[in-house]
Amino acid sequence: MNSTITSASRRREALNETRVWQVYARRKYEEPLHEIGNVMADDVELAKVYARSIYDEFSWVEMVIIPRDCIVTVIES
Amino acid sequence: MAGTHVDNAALFAVLSSLADNKQAIGRRYAYWCNGAPALEAAVAAAAMTQDELGHARTLYPLLEDFTQAEPDPGQVEPMTRTLHYHLAYLDHDFQGWSDFVATNFLLDTAITTFFEAAQNSSYEPLRQRARKIVQEERIHEMHADGWVRRLAKVGGAVRSTLVASLNRLWDETLCWFGPNDDPNMQQLYREGIIDATPDELRSRYLQKIMPTLSSLEIEVPVSFHADTKRWELRQSLPWNSWDAITRRTSAD
Repeated sequence: MNSTITSASRRREALNETRVWQVYARRKYEEPLHEIGNVMADDVELAKVYARSIYDEFSWVEMVIIPRDCIVTVIES
Repeated sequence: MAGTHVDNAALFAVLSSLADNKQAIGRRYAYWCNGAPALEAAVAAAAMTQDELGHARTLYPLLEDFTQAEPDPGQVEPMTRTLHYHLAYLDHDFQGWSDFVATNFLLDTAITTFFEAAQNSSYEPLRQRARKIVQEERIHEMHADGWVRRLAKVGGAVRSTLVASLNRLWDETLCWFGPNDDPNMQQLYREGIIDATPDELRSRYLQKIMPTLSSLEIEVPVSFHADTKRWELRQSLPWNSWDAITRRTSAD
């Protein structure tokens, strides 16, 4: 029983997403992109699918995702 | 086929199978809206569930216009329908997330291959729906591809569970297009309702899925022929256990 739980939790751990993607979108062409949230996915294609399905509350004219680890801090909060 | 009544048994049969499969996929996906490995995947599963049930909901009403629906009108309503022309694989709950991924990757892509072949259909109601479905299915294909890669690359038990799910669904999905002399599919091809024969549909399908399976070294009975630059099945399908009316293999 314990070994079943361990092996199941090991499998689940192996599937844990570690990469965070910031999601930006805009509703009108005259507006700038603004941050609407984030998703976790190790694969860029899955990150795109997740961003589209989670943040589908508006008909966006543009949506982009940026890996959080690519963001360079200029002024720290 | 103009007018409100369409008399076409072949089209009626294939549309019934398409609607039943979409409905059954939606119902199986629905179970995973709160059981996926991550919150993001659960939300994506919910969105895809909604899409699949939506596709079924646009297909069932088409059946009402057919002469073939008249003897038993209850069979064209999903709530009263007792016939099941979906794959036997969908008869039971998915055993795990890998069954979801396998269905998304193999079966949903196979059905989309059919809709791609119907985008210039001579039967206008199917043409309109096919274009919209193909558009919506692009995101499903990205999801399927991403998850097959993800599960396969984890290795060990995760990979072998995925491979087992793919293997269970493999033959029945390839059979769904029918043997090349399938009278219904051949009639649809002759009437310009779809632009491909069963063998051509199966070939188009293999060209779509094989690059992913091959790059992940997932073994399936398909070979790449360098001379034609095409993926081709290297063993025959189990037609003896496949039923041409229900378009499914006999359940175990």
